[in-house]
Amino acid sequence: MDELHRMSKLNRKLVRDLAASKWLFLAVAIVILLGVAFFGASFLGYRNLKKSYDYTYETLRFADFTVQVVKAPEMAVEELESISGIEAVTGRMDSDIILTLSGGEEKRILARAISLPSDSRPAVNDVKVEEGSYFQDGQGSTLLVEKSFAEYHGLQPGDIVRLTVDEQEISFTIAGIVTSPEYIFPAKSRQEVLVSAETFGVVFVPQDVVPELMGKPFINEFCFLIEDGADKDVVIAEVEDALDPYIVTDVVTQADQPSNAALSMDLQEFGEMAEVFPLLFLIVGALATYILLTRIVYKQRSQIGLMRAVGYSRRQVLIHYLSFALIIGIIGAIAGTVAGYLLSEAVTNLYVGFLRIPYTRIEMGWMEWLALEEGLFIGILPCVIAGIIPALAASRLIPSEAMRTPPPASGRKMLLERLFPFLARLSSLWKIPLRNIFRNRRRSLYTIIGIAFGISLILVSAAFIDSVDYLMNLQFERIQKYDAQISFAQPQPLALADEVEDWDETERVEPILKIATRLEHGDNTYSTLTEGLPTDSELYGLYSTDGNQVTVREEGILLSEGLRNTLNIDVGDVVNVQSTSTVGQLEVVGFVKQPMGSFAYVTLEQAQSMAGGQDVITGLMLGVKPQYIDSIREKAYQIPGTASVELTSETHEKVAGLMGFLKGMMWVMLGFGAAMALAIVFTVVTVNILERSREIATMRTLGEGRGGIAAMITIENVLLGLAGLLPGILLGYGLAVFLFRLIQTDMFSFGLVIFPRTYALTAGIVILIMLISQLPGIRQVNRLDLPRVIKEQVS
Amino acid sequence: MTLDVTRGEFIVILGPSGSGKTTLLNLVGGLDSPTSGKIIVGGRMITALDEKGLTYYRRNRIGFVFQFFNLIPTLTARENVEFAAALVNNPIDPVKMLKVVGLKRRTNHFPSELSGGEQQRVAIARALVKDPPILLCDEPTGELDFETGKRILAVMRRINEVRHKTVLLVTHNTAIGDIADRVIRLRSGEIVEDRRNPSPIDPQELRW
Repeated sequence: MDELHRMSKLNRKLVRDLAASKWLFLAVAIVILLGVAFFGASFLGYRNLKKSYDYTYETLRFADFTVQVVKAPEMAVEELESISGIEAVTGRMDSDIILTLSGGEEKRILARAISLPSDSRPAVNDVKVEEGSYFQDGQGSTLLVEKSFAEYHGLQPGDIVRLTVDEQEISFTIAGIVTSPEYIFPAKSRQEVLVSAETFGVVFVPQDVVPELMGKPFINEFCFLIEDGADKDVVIAEVEDALDPYIVTDVVTQADQPSNAALSMDLQEFGEMAEVFPLLFLIVGALATYILLTRIVYKQRSQIGLMRAVGYSRRQVLIHYLSFALIIGIIGAIAGTVAGYLLSEAVTNLYVGFLRIPYTRIEMGWMEWLALEEGLFIGILPCVIAGIIPALAASRLIPSEAMRTPPPASGRKMLLERLFPFLARLSSLWKIPLRNIFRNRRRSLYTIIGIAFGISLILVSAAFIDSVDYLMNLQFERIQKYDAQISFAQPQPLALADEVEDWDETERVEPILKIATRLEHGDNTYSTLTEGLPTDSELYGLYSTDGNQVTVREEGILLSEGLRNTLNIDVGDVVNVQSTSTVGQLEVVGFVKQPMGSFAYVTLEQAQSMAGGQDVITGLMLGVKPQYIDSIREKAYQIPGTASVELTSETHEKVAGLMGFLKGMMWVMLGFGAAMALAIVFTVVTVNILERSREIATMRTLGEGRGGIAAMITIENVLLGLAGLLPGILLGYGLAVFLFRLIQTDMFSFGLVIFPRTYALTAGIVILIMLISQLPGIRQVNRLDLPRVIKEQVS
Repeated sequence: MTLDVTRGEFIVILGPSGSGKTTLLNLVGGLDSPTSGKIIVGGRMITALDEKGLTYYRRNRIGFVFQFFNLIPTLTARENVEFAAALVNNPIDPVKMLKVVGLKRRTNHFPSELSGGEQQRVAIARALVKDPPILLCDEPTGELDFETGKRILAVMRRINEVRHKTVLLVTHNTAIGDIADRVIRLRSGEIVEDRRNPSPIDPQELRW
C-alpha cells in the first residue's frame, strides 16, 4: 500500500515535470512521430501497391513471358499448349496501326492494336472492362479502348473510331473502356516509356476482324502463363524452338515487360525508402531523448537525493526517469502509427488515381498489422535505449552527494585554442560560444549528427528535384530541339523533306529514319530502334557522356549510355546490328546521354542501307514557326502516310506531369527533413539555454544587453549548424547515390545531378531552421526573472 | 521607507529572512522595479528607466557581488573580469584588478579550479573593473568559511576606503555590522534601525 502510495506521488511528479517542459517533450516526440509515420506510410504504401499489382496480374492472368514472331498460323497455339510447363497460351495480333479519332477535330495516332478472342476472354493477358462492355455481336465491328487513352481524348462507349491499314479504312464502334495489366503504366516500349496519349494509345480488336483489317489471318505474338514449379528458362527455350519456323523477333519476360518494369522500379524505391529514412529519424529521436533526459536528471540531482533519502528505492527512481523516455516513445509511436496509416491510404489513393490500377487492394492483413506493430516497436525502442543511461545514472546517485551543491561546471581551454593562440584573444562574444560548444562535447556531437541527418534528407530530396530539372532540360531543350515530329506508318521518299520544308509553317526540316534493330555484343543482345540522322542535324542534339555535343559519323555507331552495361561494350568494340533485312557490324565510336530509353544512332545513309532502301525516311523533324505550332498537326495529316504527329510541347507536358507527381513526393520528404532538423535543434538549443540560465542572468546583471546574449546564442548555434553541414552533405550525397543506383536502367538514365546552388540553398535552409528554432529559447532567456535566477544555487 | 545614502559610505543592511534586504538591493541595482515610489541614484531617477536604460545603468553604475559568486564557468578568472570590462568604455586593467584582490597568480585558472574565497575575489574584481561608483553585495560571505569571509570583507572595506566606492552589503550576520560606517536594520520591509558607527572595526578583528 505504501509502495503504491509512493508510486502515485511519483506519477504526479512525472506528469507535472512533463507539463513543465511540454514543448521540449513534444519536439522529441515529433521526431519519433515523423520516423514512425514515414515507416508506416512507405511500408503500407508499398504493400498496398504490391498487392494491387499482384492481384491485378493474377486476376487478369498477366503473361509470364511473351514471344514475338514475324507471322504464325492460328493453329500454332495448340502445339504450344502441349509443351510441358505451359499453363496457358494466347496467340494474338499486336501491331501499330493508324487510328483516326473523329469528332470535333480529326486526330491521327499510331495506336497499338491488339487482338482478343471475339466471343470469349483470352486465356492470358485479359482486360478489365471499366465502362461499357466486352465485344458485342451483331453491331458491326467493335473495339475496346485502354482507359488512360480514352480519358485523355474523352472517348466513350458508342463513339466511332477508324483504323487504317494500307490506305484501307475500317470503322469501329467503341464497345468498352478497359484497363490492361500490360498497360497500367502506358509505355510504348522500353525505349519509349513516357509517351503522350497524343501519339500513342492502345486499342483491342476482336480476333475475327483481323483478316479483314490485315487482309489475312494474322498472329505475331504469343503470351504464356507458366505452370507453378516449372523452370522458366527451360520452358522459354522450348517455346523458342517450337516457334523457330515463324522467326522469333523478341522474347520479353514479365520482369522486362515495360509497364511492369517501370512499376517494379518505382515499387522497389518505395521499399528501400521504407527502410532507410525512418532509421535516420529514429536515431535522431534517440539522441534527442538522451539529451533531454540527461538534462532533467542533472537538474533534479537534489530532488533525486531527497527521494532516495526519504525511502524511494533505486528501482523506483530508475522507473520514474525511464518513464519520461517511455512516454515520449509511446506518444510519438502511437501518433506516428496513426499518421502513417492515414498517409499510406493517401499515398495509395494518389497512385491509384494516377496510374488507373485495375484492381486496388487496400486491406489490413496480418503483414500490415505486424508492420504497424513493428512501427510502434521501432518508435518506442530507441527512446527506451536512449533513456536507460540517464535513468540508471539517476538511480545510482548517492543521496548525500546528490543533495550537495555541485562545483561549478568545469571550464577548460579548447585544444583549438592551444593550437591557435589567436583564438584566445577573441572577444567574449566569440569565446563564450566556442567554449560552450566544447563544454558538453557529447551534446554538441549529437546536435551535429541531428543537423547532419536533417541536411542529408533535405539534400536527397533536393538532389532528386535537381536531377529531374536537369533531365527535363537535357531532353527538351538540348536533345529534342524539334517542335514537331511526323512519323510515317510506311517508309516515305526522302524528297518529302524538301516538300515540307517549302511549307509556310516550317523553318527547318530534317529527315529521320528509325529502324527496329537487334544489337548484339558477345552474349548480350538488346532490341531497340536505330535512328539515322543527318550529320549536320540541328534539331536533334547528341551529347557525349562528358557533355560535349557530338554528331553521327559515317565510320561507326553511337550508343545510349545505358547500353554500355546492358551490352557490356565499350568504345572501339564492334557491335552486330541486325535489322529485318540486313545484318551488319559497326564499331562503337561513342556513347551519348539519353535520359529516356536507349537507342543507337547512325547517319541517315547508314540507316538507309540497313533498311535496304535508297532515300527512304520514316519521319520528319520540324522546326515550326511559333505562330503555326497549333495548326501544324492538322497540316501534317495532309500527307497521306502520316501516322502520328508528336509535338515536343505536349511530350514535355506529359513528362512534366509525371515528374511533377514524383517531385511533389520529394517536396514532402524535404519537409520531413526540415521538420526533423527543426525539432532536434529546438531541443538542444532550448536545453542549452535553460541549463545556462544562471550564467546568462549573471551576464545580464553585469550589464550585458539582450542583443549581446542573443548574439552569443546565435553564434554558438550557427557554428554547430556549420559543423553539421559537411557531414550532412556527404551523407546526403551518399544516400542519393544509393537511391539513384536503382533508376539507372536502359529505360531511364537518371543521372544524379546536384546544382551548386542547391548546396548553398540547403545550407541556407539549415541556418534558417537554426535561427527559427532558437527563438523560443532566446525569448525565454530575455524574460528571465534576474533577481531570482542569479540567487539560485548552481544546478 | 526613505533612505538617503551618501557617496562613499560603507553600509551594512541587516535583517531576518523576508525582511526585504535583497529586494532593496535589487531595486537599487536596477534588477527590479518598485510598484510605487522613486529611486534616485546620482541625480537620475532610475525608476523611470526602461529595460534598455536599466541595462546601461547596471553596466555603468553598478557592481554586483553575489552569494554564489556566479562566475561564467567557461571563462578563466581573467576572462571573467575581461567580460565585464568589455562592457564599458574606460575600464580598469583587468590584470591590475585581479592584483588588487590578491589573485595575480591565479589569472588563468577556471572557476572550477579556484576555491570559494578565490572565486568570490574574482567576482569582486569583476564588479570593480567597470569602475562603478556603487558596489552591491548580497551575502558575499554566505558561502565562505569564517577566515575566508573576513578576508573578503577586508578587501571590500579597503576598496571602499581607497577607491571611494559606495558599498551596500546585505547580510543576516549581525556581527558584520561592526565594520560598517552605517548599519540599517530591516523588518518586514521597514527600517527599524539606522545608526552611524563612529568607529568601525577592522574586519580582521571580527568574531562570529
